[in-house]
Amino acid sequence: MGVVDRIVTWARLKSPWIIHFNSGACNACDIEVVASLTPRYDVERFGVALKGTPRHADVLVCSGPVTRQISDRLVRIYEQMPQPKFVVAVGTCACSGGIFDGLYNVMGGIDSVIPVHAYIPGCPASPEAIIDGVVKLLTALENGASAPIERPRVALDNIRHMDGIIAPQQLIRSRADQKAGEQDD
Amino acid sequence: MTDSDIVKVPLGPQHPALKEPGSFMLSLRGEQITEMGVRLGYNHRGMEKACEERSYLNDLYLLERICGICSHAHSSAYVTAVEEIADVQIPRRGAYLRTLVSELERIHSHLLWLGVAGHEIGFDTLLMYSWRDREIVMDLLADLTGNRVNYGYNTIGGVRRDITDEQKAAMLKGLDTLEERTKYYAQIATQEVTLAKRLSGVGKISKEDVIRLGVTGPTARASGVNRDIRKDDPYCIYDELDFDVITADSCDVFGRTVVRVGELMQTYRMIRQILANLPDGPIAAKAPRKVPKGQAVSRYEAPRGEGIHFVRGNGTDKPERVKVRAPTMVNIQAVSHMMKGGFLADMPITLAAIDPCFSCTDRMIELADESGSHLGVKSWADVRAHGIRHYQERGIDLSDVSKRFASKMERL
Amino acid sequence: MTDPKTGDLNSTPPLPPLTNETQLSDKLVEAFPFLADKITIQRIRRVWATVPMTELHAVLIHAKEQLGFDQLCTITGTDEGTELGLLYHLACDNGIVLTLVTTAPKDGPGPESVTPYFPLAELYEREVIDLLGARIGGLPEGNRYPLPDAWPEGQYPLRKDWKPAFATPAPGASSSKEKQG
Repeated sequence: MGVVDRIVTWARLKSPWIIHFNSGACNACDIEVVASLTPRYDVERFGVALKGTPRHADVLVCSGPVTRQISDRLVRIYEQMPQPKFVVAVGTCACSGGIFDGLYNVMGGIDSVIPVHAYIPGCPASPEAIIDGVVKLLTALENGASAPIERPRVALDNIRHMDGIIAPQQLIRSRADQKAGEQDD
Repeated sequence: MTDSDIVKVPLGPQHPALKEPGSFMLSLRGEQITEMGVRLGYNHRGMEKACEERSYLNDLYLLERICGICSHAHSSAYVTAVEEIADVQIPRRGAYLRTLVSELERIHSHLLWLGVAGHEIGFDTLLMYSWRDREIVMDLLADLTGNRVNYGYNTIGGVRRDITDEQKAAMLKGLDTLEERTKYYAQIATQEVTLAKRLSGVGKISKEDVIRLGVTGPTARASGVNRDIRKDDPYCIYDELDFDVITADSCDVFGRTVVRVGELMQTYRMIRQILANLPDGPIAAKAPRKVPKGQAVSRYEAPRGEGIHFVRGNGTDKPERVKVRAPTMVNIQAVSHMMKGGFLADMPITLAAIDPCFSCTDRMIELADESGSHLGVKSWADVRAHGIRHYQERGIDLSDVSKRFASKMERL
Repeated sequence: MTDPKTGDLNSTPPLPPLTNETQLSDKLVEAFPFLADKITIQRIRRVWATVPMTELHAVLIHAKEQLGFDQLCTITGTDEGTELGLLYHLACDNGIVLTLVTTAPKDGPGPESVTPYFPLAELYEREVIDLLGARIGGLPEGNRYPLPDAWPEGQYPLRKDWKPAFATPAPGASSSKEKQG
């Protein structure tokens, strides 16, 4: 990495700016994210600043199972963030759909629509867990990791055209089967 | 002024984490809002259908997560309805403990609201101080129930955990601290001229409109309507507790602040009574797995207003129908009414004053003219900043209050 | 009396709300004799009345103006098998909840909207229309609630025979996941 790259990476690690998004959650995780900014937990001492627009943010902190109606807004927000961007899924619902997995209006965890770099479980994730997750993400970035774990995701078109009620889990499974099938051949 | 002077501003749908993230369409003439449309439905998860496929006990945990701030209120209402159908009498100690957690939840919710309201008018010090005090009650709840929110405290037939003497003593000590701090917030709310000027006259809704529209909770009580489910339709042991219903006559956001702070003081009074009169005995009764045929309606007073649950059983271990209507659904529609003739600068605080389930997530405002062409994108933070600037230019500056507040709090 | 067409309330002051469930039941039967054996007092402050769909508005207006039930808490829709059930939960200042239970056809016109007397009923009615397919007349043009705009026509999630393409078995059940082509 050149000198400029090193400075830029250092700035990103020392002061990550976050945008918080609620994709259909019950609000418990969102309140805990805000509580992390209050004097008892004070995540701002890590340089974290809560921004109002995705265009200024490095990290998308997302909570909630993705409901159908909000799914394309979530993707739009993700696309508006400049590279490099990182996504943190806060709470069990954001990790996998949680207690709402399988409900007819819920698509699943955040990773069913956008790639996720860090998962913070909990119902709700307590502020200590959130700080721990953010610090782990920053440490991983410092050590050079920048690619998220790739999971097959629902294509944007499938969110926009709901002919029949397509199950994201079905699509994920069928794509994984397809890949497994290809490897076997 | 002609109609072409009206600018339509869509707000949302990614809203600061309302229970139902909503989309608002504001019609603005200059700074004034002429009309406001509301669109909801973004947080619809399909829970009522899911309830029919899960057992009664599993539904308890599912319904708790309708809202992460008043979770115990939802679970209590549901379990009260199920206990009515199954004809289960919960033991007195269990009822007392259930009420105790309901009131502790009310404290945490009102302190949360106080902080958020402060944030929306630019008074960030109030946010930091009230949320710091809120941690006292979060610790008490975590100690008693095992979690900061989504307590999982209820079961069909009673509650799941008992309270020890050490926890009781810690609770009384925590209440003393909270009461002292709340008295100070009450003083700030009523005597600080800048705050009173900022909040008075904002978001007005008359008593007649409150009754006509069916608004509930502190929003209604601030317009002089004396309605509180804990007094009118008591559940748990509220008919044995001695407390007053707080109302105000100013019909605006200032009234709502006064009502909520007053309710906090009443809650401390109630919790002391509960802890002093806690009867001995079991905390839960045995409940059948299969609930007989029958139906019940239960209402409860959540921190935000009246919520109602309807449960129908069909003789199996899964409910036939569960219907939930939460208070924000009613109050959010009243906001359109409150905002007519109001200013864009007052939008954040008026919305915050009905206490929707909130977090400080920001959202986008797209400015477009009548033909729909895109003029620019503003964030919620920009609208908030606009509101703060708007009032600073007219002589109401809350940064001075912050300094006085901070210096006085240091001495506490 | 309320004019059902315009919703205008004349300025007669409302009577004080009832505190006695039996008194309420008697007054209802007095005004509407067909309710004679259709009223149940389940417990203190809970009264249930089964009303035919054609008489729903008359009973609702009477309860609101003569008996003090000026709060419509919510409208619950149920699937009764061959038809839909609609429950209108009304409350008064003394805490009594009067639930009017009526039925509507699954594939035919249902009752007219009650928004002239209860403005906030619009959301409750839209919910029943979206989730159960009731046909409530008289609602103005507006956004649907709560389902998303792209939801397919004719799919009513709360009907008993509706299964999503990806039904997850409830915790503890042993059936495998359903798949539809």
